[in-house]
Amino acid sequence: MTMNESPLKSGSPAGGSRFRVDLPKLMLFGILVFTVGVFTALNPRFFSWRSFIFVLIQNSFVIVTGCAVTLLMIAGYIDLSVGSTLVLSGMIHAYLCRAGAAIEVSLIIAIVAGTLIGYINAVMIVKLKITPFIATLGTMYLGRGLSYLISGGLVIREGLPDNFAYLGNEYLGPIPITVAVMIGVLAIFFVLEKKSVLGKYSIAIGGNKTAAVLSGIDVDGIVQVLYVLCGTLSAVGGVLMASRLGVGEPNTGIGFEFDVIIAVILGGTSLAGGEGSLVGMIIGSLIIGCLANGLKILNVFTFYQSVMKGIVLVLAVVLYENVKARLKIKRAG
Amino acid sequence: MQEKLLEIRDISKYYPGVTALKGVSFDIRRGSVHCIVGENGAGKSTLIKILTGAERRSEGTIRFNGREFNPHGTRDAMRSGMSVLFQELNVVNQLTVQDNLSLGKEKRKLGFFKRDPELIGNIYEVLRSLDPSISLTQMVEDLSVAQKQVIEIAKAIASDSNVIIMDEPTAAISDEEVNRLFQIIRKLKTRDVTVVYISHRLSEIFEIGDYVTVLRDGRMIDTKAIADFAGYCKDDAPSASSSMDAACDELIRMMLGKVVAERYIPSDVDRGAKVLELRSVSNGKLKDVSFALYKGEILGFYGLVGSGKTEIAKAIYGIDGREGEVLVGGKLAAIANPADAIGEGIAMVPEERRSEGLFTNLTIRENIPMMNLRTISKNGVFSRKRERLLARRYIEKVRIVARDEDQRVSELSGGNQQKVVLSKCLNAESDIILMDEPTRGIDVGAKEEIHNLIRELAKNGKSVIVFTSELPEVLNLCDRIILLYDGKIMRTLENGRNIDHGSVMRVVTGAGV
Repeated sequence: MTMNESPLKSGSPAGGSRFRVDLPKLMLFGILVFTVGVFTALNPRFFSWRSFIFVLIQNSFVIVTGCAVTLLMIAGYIDLSVGSTLVLSGMIHAYLCRAGAAIEVSLIIAIVAGTLIGYINAVMIVKLKITPFIATLGTMYLGRGLSYLISGGLVIREGLPDNFAYLGNEYLGPIPITVAVMIGVLAIFFVLEKKSVLGKYSIAIGGNKTAAVLSGIDVDGIVQVLYVLCGTLSAVGGVLMASRLGVGEPNTGIGFEFDVIIAVILGGTSLAGGEGSLVGMIIGSLIIGCLANGLKILNVFTFYQSVMKGIVLVLAVVLYENVKARLKIKRAG
Repeated sequence: MQEKLLEIRDISKYYPGVTALKGVSFDIRRGSVHCIVGENGAGKSTLIKILTGAERRSEGTIRFNGREFNPHGTRDAMRSGMSVLFQELNVVNQLTVQDNLSLGKEKRKLGFFKRDPELIGNIYEVLRSLDPSISLTQMVEDLSVAQKQVIEIAKAIASDSNVIIMDEPTAAISDEEVNRLFQIIRKLKTRDVTVVYISHRLSEIFEIGDYVTVLRDGRMIDTKAIADFAGYCKDDAPSASSSMDAACDELIRMMLGKVVAERYIPSDVDRGAKVLELRSVSNGKLKDVSFALYKGEILGFYGLVGSGKTEIAKAIYGIDGREGEVLVGGKLAAIANPADAIGEGIAMVPEERRSEGLFTNLTIRENIPMMNLRTISKNGVFSRKRERLLARRYIEKVRIVARDEDQRVSELSGGNQQKVVLSKCLNAESDIILMDEPTRGIDVGAKEEIHNLIRELAKNGKSVIVFTSELPEVLNLCDRIILLYDGKIMRTLENGRNIDHGSVMRVVTGAGV
């Protein structure tokens, strides 16, 4: 290599947005289109506005929570407690409403409670240095237990005000409120992901924690914020879900944490951290959502749905990793 | 004369862009202690990796016990009788001494262990002959580092190893334990076990070695019997200090060769402005370190592996704890972590660029602003455009050879990766820059470019501390040179005057001040 060679081989105008084809993400989108295509072929009823809105509503809880979980997992951490936090905040919301609290007050208290669970996780992991898996497994059981305790294990159904079910079932124009909330949260997190310290540092921490510390990045602070956000957004998902169901049901959200993790991983986030995206998480969650809805429309027994979910997850990740490895070889070659 | 156990012929090893070994040939004789010496980067570790099967050679042949030796991996090499005592010991702390020694050699039936009195008897005999103070039922985690080494050596002997390679075995043990290790090495010789001994401490080589091979820049300079060194006489060791000096000098000359004529350019140092001062800084690795750094100065710390260079950098940068005072700009600074250090205007280029300096999952553009995001944001919001322009500026300024700023740093060559780390550090806009081994593993051209960059930094009024284990680097670059040995400052030299390389080497190898 000669010294006189210009370091930059090609010049292009600064700031010009160069569109780069993100092949793995494109492939993921392909899988989604393929899934929709197959179900539409099997039953045209699948391809309808109604059906899409239904899928969106059903997945809005996963996507809302997934926004924070994606950033957390990009940073290389995990949160198993989001399902319990979701149900706990839903139960608190129902309990307070039944007790006669104004719905706005009840919403705020429920979301604060979820945030608190997130904060407990943050303190355990950052301050007490407990392994994230163990710490959040602990709060997962804690949250679930508290949810049962609130109602003595019963469903809170009687005595709820009429407006309890409003958020989860009413529309803002043509769009269900749940979906509107999801879009709002997504908008905020897209900005956080691309434009804020939080997004940038999450990738840095997940990529190389040592280098992050040596670069003066406040790793502990960022991780704490991420866990707190996970708690807050699970709670937002939880109150929406409770409202959609119209009851406080302590048995909801079992396995919800894994629905979120599956969506995030399908979306190309590695468990080790350092890569991943919100867009991927959304597509991942929609793939699972379309699959579930499609199988339901075809009257496939729910147990098979779980089998399918497992197969799709593994296959998609294998395919994705394969494409990525090939890309790497091609680029290096 | 003993028979040849290992015949190494014309071994070369090429990595992309780097020749690590070139035509190395020598013999290792059965039952001898064969030392290998050389500066960092001379090719010692590459040679060990080839001998132990961790790396494949590019050219050449090795004959071991008269047979062609082509190990497929380290396990294969071990089976043929080549064991290694790494600096990182391979013992299982949670098992007893006996279980450690029999690990993997147990007799099994249907997946269950069978009692094997013969194996245990053998282990017992070996261990007792090496160090009777260790009991078979002790937990390994209760042993000292030196005792763990004994366990490893016993393991090697119990599996009938002919050769034990010891990589800096004395780096982490006390003087008394060194003596015990030497006794064990002598016992190994009586068992006809050959020891390949790698150490930076030259006095040890004269004490324990039979032969020494000197490597320099990937080439074999000479292989010589210790007894053939001028003035060396093994029998009257206590009174031989002056003749020992002569022998050390000869070895040092062989290691260094002719140090290339320097192009040292004195920086414009403002001796009136102390930008950084350490007062009696100590921790587990450092002993009473005090020095000052001036505005516009390039200060060099020179010492061998384990001398405390990295530890000083880490203590200043707030990674390791410390006692004593650090003053920045004349004021006492409380630096508890790297973020504090950056806040005080100190930035660091860490020793390991891949594991400590870079985000290899990211592009050049994303790596550069990591230490100072204010340079790419406005009112707390990032601008991709600013990030791109910043990256381009550094690519031009530091001459990073890359496809474009969107290339992942993992795809760059070592030199260009280091330039990215440097850019990231420069972008922190600090006045004090610590550089730990700034040019390690980098080709000559890139090395010179980085040196020029450092000079330019000093010219612009920044102060730089370079921590290096390469003598030419400090001589080329630094205005003052501080010599380290065993965590202590041994001597401070002004560059530009006649510096006697031999005496520098004597200081940093602990061969006398």
